[in-house]
Parts: sequence; C-alpha cells; structure tokens
Amino acid sequence: MTAVLEVNGLCKAYPSFKLDNVGFSIEAGHIMGFIGRNGAGKTTTLKCLLDLAHPSAGDVRFFGLDARTNQTQIKQRIGYVVSTAGYHQRKRIQLISEVTKTFYPTWDEDAYRHYLDVFGLDEGKSPRELSEGMKVKYSIALALSHRAELLILDEPTSGLDPISRDELLMIFEQLAEKGVAILFSTHITSDLDKCAHDVTYIKEGKIIYTGTREGLGMPIEDYMLEHERREIHV
Amino acid sequence: MSKLLAKEMRLSASKLSYIFIVFTLMAFIPQYPILVGAFFVCFGIFHSFQTARESNDIVYSSLLPIAKRDVVRGKFAFTLVIQGIAFAVSIVFVAIRMLVAGDAGPYGFNAMMNANLAYLGYMLIIFGLFNLVFIAGFFKTAYKFGGAFVIYIVITTIVVSLAEVLHHIPGLEALNSNAYGPLQLIALIAGIVLFAVMTFAGLKLSEKRFERVDL
Repeated sequence: MTAVLEVNGLCKAYPSFKLDNVGFSIEAGHIMGFIGRNGAGKTTTLKCLLDLAHPSAGDVRFFGLDARTNQTQIKQRIGYVVSTAGYHQRKRIQLISEVTKTFYPTWDEDAYRHYLDVFGLDEGKSPRELSEGMKVKYSIALALSHRAELLILDEPTSGLDPISRDELLMIFEQLAEKGVAILFSTHITSDLDKCAHDVTYIKEGKIIYTGTREGLGMPIEDYMLEHERREIHV
Repeated sequence: MSKLLAKEMRLSASKLSYIFIVFTLMAFIPQYPILVGAFFVCFGIFHSFQTARESNDIVYSSLLPIAKRDVVRGKFAFTLVIQGIAFAVSIVFVAIRMLVAGDAGPYGFNAMMNANLAYLGYMLIIFGLFNLVFIAGFFKTAYKFGGAFVIYIVITTIVVSLAEVLHHIPGLEALNSNAYGPLQLIALIAGIVLFAVMTFAGLKLSEKRFERVDL
C-alpha cells in the first residue's frame, strides 16, 4: 500500500527542546494515534509537517510529493484540525466557509451541506459560540468538503466530554472506512484503544515506537507508563 | 490574488480600515498639518493587522493551499487597496482645493500645508513608509508589531514636520501654493517613486522574513 504520509529523519532544534530524527508513515484508510506526554514534541512535529515550523533536517512526503516544494498541492489534499486555538472566533461560520471554499477547486458543496447536517452545525453561529467538540466537527466538515485524503488533528479529543469523544472516534472510524487517513495527536490513550490501527509514540522529541497497535504487545497506557514512570518525592 | 484580496476584505479586515479613509477629508482643514490624515489612513490599516493577529488569521491563511509568500501578498494587496482608495479620493479633494477653493478664505494665508500636488506626493511617502517600516516589521514575527508601529510613528512625525518646514524655506514657497507649480510636480513624482521603491522593498523584505517565521 502507498503511504499517504512518510516522515524520515525530521529534526528541529529549539533552545530548550529538540525533535530528534522523527520518522513514521501512515497509509490510506488508517488511523494513527500520535502519542506522548505534554511537551513531548507532538505539536512541533505536526507543525513541521505543515510548514508552520521549519525543520532543520528531514524528509517529509505527502502522497509521494516532497512537502518542501509541493505545499500548495499538498494542502489541497489534507485537512488540519486543532482543538482550542481556532481561527476567526467571532466571524460567522457561513462567512468562514464561503471564504475558505474559494481556495479549493475540489470543494463539494453537497458534501459540506451533508456534514453540517450530520454534525448538527448551525452556520449562523460563530466558532466562539460552539462547544469544543462542535469546533472540531466544523474543522472536519471543512476538511472533508474539499475532499481531504488525510486529516491531521492536534489533540482533537482534549477538552471533550466522554460522549463527544466517543462520537468523534466513531466519525474517525467511518472516515477511515471510506479511505481517509487520520493522524491525530493525543495523550488520552483510551481513545487509541478504541480506534487506532497504528501508534507512534514520541518521548522528549524522539520516536520510541511506531507501528501497529498490536505490535506494542500491551495496552498503550501500560506501554507509556513503562517508559515514562519515575519516582517523584514531594 | 483576487481570492486572497476577497479573503482579506471579507474575513480578515477591521472595519476601521475602511472608516479611517474618512480622515483624508482633513485636506480641507486650514491651519492644520493635514498630512496626518495620511497617517490616520495607515492607522486604520494597522487595525486590520491587529485583528488578524487576534483572530489567528496568519495561521489560518498559512494552512490554505497557497504559498507562504501569498499570505504576505494578501496583506499587501489589502493595504494597497485602502491606500489606493484614500489616494484617489485625495486627488478629488486636491482638485476641489486647487481648482474651486483656490486662495478663498483661510486657504489664502495658510501657514500650514495646503492640499496640492506636493501634498499628494508627501501622502505617498507616508504610505510607502507604512509598507516598508510597519508591514515588514510585522512580518519579522507575524505577531509582534508594537515596536514597528512606534518606529513608523516617529519617522512619520519627522516627515510631516519636514514637509511643513520645507515650504517656509526661501525659494520653496511654491510647494505650498494653491495654484499649480513645477516644484509641486517634482514633489509628486518624488512621492510616486519613493512609494513604489518602499512598497516593493517592504514586500520583498516581508516575504523573506515571513518565510523564516515558525508559527
């Protein structure tokens, strides 16, 4: 199977933190959980993939295309979803969508209407009037309406109530069945036990494991605790 | 570019950018440093940069399927539209001042700047400075803009003051005449050239700086 996203040797150095030789790949129709504790490098990695931050080294390929030289083409085919830091919080969804869709030749208005309906989104509202779960659903609706083949989600389930989380994971599973690849970062391991095919585990900027969920040989939380647990004396 | 401009105007802009064009009416105030009207037009555009920062517009734009430099070009296109409208209405106001009002009433013994061709040239210098000093300063980080705006205010104050002093220098009185004079045309041409150079330099510098920014 062709990899939708391939990352090799990704490095990025900050004064107090560095991504060190990060590598993983994800295939079409697969859900990959990108796990690690807070500050492990998950968001930095995702930003490097999307050219929001500049890696100092490494090779990133989406759909076989080099990310550095094909950003415009690649962004047509992917969707990026963040949970809390949304955009244009006070503008109406209708306006945001109207403006956004002009940038996507592949925009499918029927699909957009369908997802608004399925997710129960009211176009008359602004993002700030939506719950965290609804914000994520709106971002997903936007991404799917331009027929994104890969969704990259940064902590989409953080701050969501258990019912909303469950709904979102159900949506992921259904999208994966339709061939959409999903890469989502989280530190909530129970989310992954429910739906992830693959897991990439990052610790202090280094990849500890990347592969199938079953390949871990134990529940994800146990695996993480085995690597992260340390004695704390207060 | 039209999509980007529409995005800037419909989604990202502050209404104040449009409203502050009204300050070009200052061209009709006698005994007043009317060039500050051009500064206020830029102050209106500044509000759109502030709105863009607060609404996370730069990240939103960067995630759209466009090149990173197009994010910068969108901001410049919007700025040039506002400055263009302000300049176009100012041409009308200058025509009214020079051809209709002339030396009537207080305009006949105006110690401060009159609205004429030289005034239009100075306006363009103030616009060009905004594009070079403020916008290129903003794109150093795509977040911080206080320092760049303060520098712009200081330089603009110096330019306004120099422009007000210039026509008091013997031999340069024609710069402030309500009737056309070749000196005014030279000032206008100088303004056009400086505006073009500063805007182009501001665009290229902004593109270069923004390319290096980690969002």
